[in-house]
Amino acid sequence: MSQDVNNTVSRRRFLRRAAASSVAFAGLPLASCAKAEPEPAAPSAPAPPAGDPARSRVVVIRHEALAPGDGRPTAARVAEFLNEAAKALAGAERPGDAWARWFKPDDRVAVKVNGLGLPTGPAVAEGLVLALGGMDLPPQNAILWDRTNRELARAGYTLQTRGRGVRCFGTDALGGRGNGGYSADVYSSGATGSLISRIVTDEATALVSAAVLKDHNLAGLTGVMKNFFGAIHNPNKYHENNCSPFIADVVAQKPIRSRLRLALVDATRPQYQGGPAPRPTWQWAYGGLIVSTDPVAADAVGRAILSRKRAAVGMKPFEADGRPVRYLASGEERGLGTADLARIEVVGIGKPWLDIS
Amino acid sequence: MNHDPAITRRTFLRTSGAGACALCAARAAAQDVPGDAPADAKPRIVVRDAMWYERLPDKAVRCLLCPRECVVAEVERGYCGVRENQAGQYKTLVYGTLCSVNMDPIEKKPLYHYLPTTPALSVATAGCNMECKFCQNWRISQYRPEQVDSLVVPPENLVRVARNRGAPTMAFTYSEPVVFYEYMHDAAAEGRKNGVGSVMISNGYIREDPMRELCKHLTGVKVDLKAFTETFYVDQCSAHLEPVLKTLEVLADVGMHTEIVVLLIPTLNDSMGEIRQMATWIVKHMGPDVPLHFSRFHPTYRVKNLPPTPVATLDRARKTAMDAGLRFVYVGNVPLHEGGHTYCPGCGKVVIRRVGYRTDTSNLKDGTCRSCGRKIPGVWSQEQALAFTVPEGKGPKTGPAAGEASL
Repeated sequence: MSQDVNNTVSRRRFLRRAAASSVAFAGLPLASCAKAEPEPAAPSAPAPPAGDPARSRVVVIRHEALAPGDGRPTAARVAEFLNEAAKALAGAERPGDAWARWFKPDDRVAVKVNGLGLPTGPAVAEGLVLALGGMDLPPQNAILWDRTNRELARAGYTLQTRGRGVRCFGTDALGGRGNGGYSADVYSSGATGSLISRIVTDEATALVSAAVLKDHNLAGLTGVMKNFFGAIHNPNKYHENNCSPFIADVVAQKPIRSRLRLALVDATRPQYQGGPAPRPTWQWAYGGLIVSTDPVAADAVGRAILSRKRAAVGMKPFEADGRPVRYLASGEERGLGTADLARIEVVGIGKPWLDIS
Repeated sequence: MNHDPAITRRTFLRTSGAGACALCAARAAAQDVPGDAPADAKPRIVVRDAMWYERLPDKAVRCLLCPRECVVAEVERGYCGVRENQAGQYKTLVYGTLCSVNMDPIEKKPLYHYLPTTPALSVATAGCNMECKFCQNWRISQYRPEQVDSLVVPPENLVRVARNRGAPTMAFTYSEPVVFYEYMHDAAAEGRKNGVGSVMISNGYIREDPMRELCKHLTGVKVDLKAFTETFYVDQCSAHLEPVLKTLEVLADVGMHTEIVVLLIPTLNDSMGEIRQMATWIVKHMGPDVPLHFSRFHPTYRVKNLPPTPVATLDRARKTAMDAGLRFVYVGNVPLHEGGHTYCPGCGKVVIRRVGYRTDTSNLKDGTCRSCGRKIPGVWSQEQALAFTVPEGKGPKTGPAAGEASL
């Protein structure tokens, strides 16, 4: 395995970052974080809404620091915003309390990133791990992963399989256990039958889908749910009929469904056309992160954002472009979450979430 | 038809002893051939231009190899999992990346009317353009190339191994050779130049022009006809029946030696009405001399809730197909079954006797029944195999790709 030792997240660096992040927990001004130049403070989460238990809650946090002019946000800034989002999502006063709703310190948290085409930004995934450090999750208990080391490296992730830092590797790195790193048995769910990454079945006690918001030429949208196509050995079999109901069936696979705790979408620079390959022409600085415990609702919100953008630039809706986002309804039918925006409680922090200007 | 009397103990011992020798020879012959899991095998990808696709806007491509006609965006793969859009160019990832290499008796394919008793150098890569829930080889057919251990064997090396080991035939088999079309095409062409024939063991799920092009280089084909209902193809294989029937018609049209195998699965495709329809279709569209094999199902992959096919069902299917007019109908995966022999349609005598993979052709003389002199259809010599050509005007109507890929 290729490995750039200089760029790995060492224990020391992790602790330093986590410590910086914990400053935010203490309620100090974010500007107090050591930076060469002061950055705008993250907007505070509004008071937790009363909440309708029948509604799924999705938090969309937006800030220009998430899509800075010079490119990508830092992991430390992402962690700050995620802490705010977590508080809003959980209705908690402190980030640590919020994260503790979904994770335990002894969990082994596998963060599934999307490394194919336009990737989940490494800073977003690393920012999540930093934020989880606030609830005492040891860094070595976190794994950033996707199908292959090659895809991760191409996406800008630094591979690491050992040591005390955050681990980062592809399913193929477990190929020595046989089956190319996938389970020995076929898991069936609805129309799908697949081997599942051993990172899910053998390593993880908790899963996070850390997706990226982008257009997909068949599914319409690649988000939280389709991200798990990278957890099975045969995703190519499930692209027909706009990938539906296959996407929902894959998420409903028991090893995935039973471990999935959180949906996170990198919407810092989403892509509204030409996906899944990166097409800078059709990306824009939305500067957002979408966080929910409901994968269907998170993707429904993602669809709404991309649809709004497409309409704003005069593009056809997904439906008229031959790729309706069918899998959301399939997801709701399987009890995975809520597809109807009218029944989703979107908590916006910062710039209004449907303002795509 | 008068079937030959049951196999005697003496016959069995003689044939099985010889069979063991043949297997030993094949094993010895394969020692310098990469085996199923050689020590230096590992996941490998070899990228080459794909044949048979067209470019679409936004760097997308449409694959024109199989009836799925996958529209594939950049960085994505087709349904087969072994063909990928790289920057608007469609590529095969399995050119010569062989995950299975074995020296098999040709009868194992099964091909019963094609150079009996000879070995076939049999190879496969990962991938398939169907997903049969009962696939016996799903550990390679349903995997992507980076998920299996393989070796890289260029076409010329494969041909050399076949020649050195005395195999008159290369068999592209086990998974689905349609998805490694480019390699099969080039290896078969190379084989022809060097006196080695090529057979494709396939699901027949391929578009007409690629099939016609391939026929220029092949010397025989076996098609798995999964069933004779669209429902079965859709529900059990994620595919369609009609394109497979079209392939069979194409093979008959060019005069390719073709045998058909049907895996009979209890309750799913074993009704005698369906078998009668199937056999009638074969007689009408391909003729009565096409060998048809009914093979016994064993539970596997995603169909583990059904029992093995009862032998009585296979017997009934064989009789039904013969009643419909087919002359050479076999029962497979049932050791010592009388339906494993070839009987002369003229006198009813056994002309080829099979016990396991031991084959006795002593009653076949120059492709005729030694008893009555009737010609038995098939490919009985390497000269005959290599003499096959696609008749004038029956080749493909279009080229292999809209892009740069070329033959």
